[in-house]
Amino acid sequence: MARRQLTNLLSSTTGLVLTIGIAFAIVILLILLLSKEPGTAIYYFFVGPFTKAYYFGNMLNQSIGLMFTGLGIAVAFKSSTFNLGGEGQAYSGALVATAICLALPNLPGIVGGAAAILGAILIGAFLAGLSGFFNMRWGTDQLISSFLISAAVILVVNFLVTGPLDDPKNSMLTTASIAEQYRFLKIFLPSKLDVSIFFAVAAAIGTYFFMQRTHWGYEMRMCGINRNFSRYAGINVAKYLVVPMAISGGFHGLAGAVSVMGTHYRCLKGVTTGLGWNGIAVALIAKNNPIAVIPAALFFAYLDAGAKAAMLHADVTFELAKIAQAVIFFLVTAQALYGFFKSRKKVAA
Amino acid sequence: MNTSFPIPMLHSTIRIMAPFLLAAIGGLFTELAGMLNIALEGLMLIGAFFSVVLSAATGSLFLGIALGIGASVVAAYVFGFISLNLRANIFITGLATNLFAEGITVVLAFQMFGNKGVIRFENLPRLPVLSIPALQRVPVIGDIFVGHNVLVYVSWLMVVIAAIIIYKTAFGLRVRGTGSNPAAVEAIGLSPRRYRMYAILISGFTCGLAGAILSLQMGAFVPGITSGRGWIALVAIYLGAKTPHGILIACIVFGLAESFSNYAQGAIDIPADFILAFPYIITVIAMIAYSIVRHYRLKGSEG
Repeated sequence: MARRQLTNLLSSTTGLVLTIGIAFAIVILLILLLSKEPGTAIYYFFVGPFTKAYYFGNMLNQSIGLMFTGLGIAVAFKSSTFNLGGEGQAYSGALVATAICLALPNLPGIVGGAAAILGAILIGAFLAGLSGFFNMRWGTDQLISSFLISAAVILVVNFLVTGPLDDPKNSMLTTASIAEQYRFLKIFLPSKLDVSIFFAVAAAIGTYFFMQRTHWGYEMRMCGINRNFSRYAGINVAKYLVVPMAISGGFHGLAGAVSVMGTHYRCLKGVTTGLGWNGIAVALIAKNNPIAVIPAALFFAYLDAGAKAAMLHADVTFELAKIAQAVIFFLVTAQALYGFFKSRKKVAA
Repeated sequence: MNTSFPIPMLHSTIRIMAPFLLAAIGGLFTELAGMLNIALEGLMLIGAFFSVVLSAATGSLFLGIALGIGASVVAAYVFGFISLNLRANIFITGLATNLFAEGITVVLAFQMFGNKGVIRFENLPRLPVLSIPALQRVPVIGDIFVGHNVLVYVSWLMVVIAAIIIYKTAFGLRVRGTGSNPAAVEAIGLSPRRYRMYAILISGFTCGLAGAILSLQMGAFVPGITSGRGWIALVAIYLGAKTPHGILIACIVFGLAESFSNYAQGAIDIPADFILAFPYIITVIAMIAYSIVRHYRLKGSEG
């Protein structure tokens, strides 16, 4: 038993190392092909995030949102439900949190802040829960409906941010700024890192215990392993098409709220772009384990921070991070790279 | 009621639906082979980028489109290789293809043109327009169906070709068998994996052409030019009950929806973002309606 676990661990580690190695190799190759100063670009891509406290703090800050969205996806996948609407759920969470803060400019920070966060969680949970509901009721494909709803929601939020809620005093496409008392405490100046990183880590630990130690968590995992078996065992499987989706959406909404209240203090157009998609990759690297979401999110934030540093110091563009992330996405579920002995269950249907 | 209003709207419907049609027809092959092909969007994007850039670079539309399709087919091959040979989850690799396409097109655009926004190509050859004077004089039909660029007609031709391949050839039968009964395909000594790869390559081909239509019509490349069309094409496959003629009808509906919203933009004062959201909303509603109908039909057949 112990030996099998060791083999599993070894083969999944070698797989991950191989995946990341290939992603890095492709980035290096692209830089060599495209950059006129490849040495500098490569140096800053890999080492940049550690060269200045400012970069390092921003990298940690970037990981906060990814931890929340990664947790959201991990819960959904672990229960065999599929949430592809993370982008729209996070964005609408950012908007709702901003709107609530702007509507209540004079409340004590903790009261209004709690209302804003709750609002963001609810809107995310509602949007994702909707896809879960359609699936439960009529068998509408969750995967596609969650994506389409999210795509429509993104455009509606764009309209609100650039239209009715646009701040005329600011030339950027953004809402007005939220009041001082709603802004999370900075803990690593001059970087943007704020106190919500502790919330994210706590949320990961909390989710782990929820999934492993509670009745709901147990039933959700059972549904994830085998929905038919769970039905015969007397679990209300219909409920668990909606609940994991709603939790997943709630986490995405929360990620949006945190990016506004911790980092940007307003809802810029596209403020949460990428959080949803990258959350999926983070969850996959973490093999849907909530604790492992923490290092996986840090790693993805590292790729972003590296690409940003390389853009500032050399002639390459930030989207290099996207390519590295896409390559990891490509390979992270490739069973041929992840050991041959294991009978891995499918991550997604 | 102004009678001149519907005709241009229907005319532009025909133009707008062409990329949907092509992507959906390619996606039909992968769907029949038993795979959910989320990568349509990314494959289109790659086709759009490379065909417009290479048409401008070579000065030849034909060469540009051929190379653009080639790039899309290569991307499809990578997508297929990782999904089938390295046994990765095809839904995740599909997402990866889309993210990769977004990344690589912007990185290359930035490196080649120093610009991450709209890239215009001034000396780009125009897509030839098919005009049949005799037909053009026929009222209504002539106004709606004549005077489009050649690729629009190619897209209709592809539907016919696809229908013939799927229903009238051994190859089509094997692709369908791969989806419905892979064991049977294996039993007659063929490899289901190989037919899945063929289906993926076909979707790369049609998506490449679909992307070429988008960028060449505009004479420009815009990051994310496909704006969800691959996803809508995926839904068109379901709504079309996985048949070429069903897909044709579904694409006419989506083309109409987009064409109508373009006209509404001029006529009624609706914010542009709402107009852009319209096709998604229509698609979701159509999808839910379809699943409701299917749900009760299944129930009826049980009882």
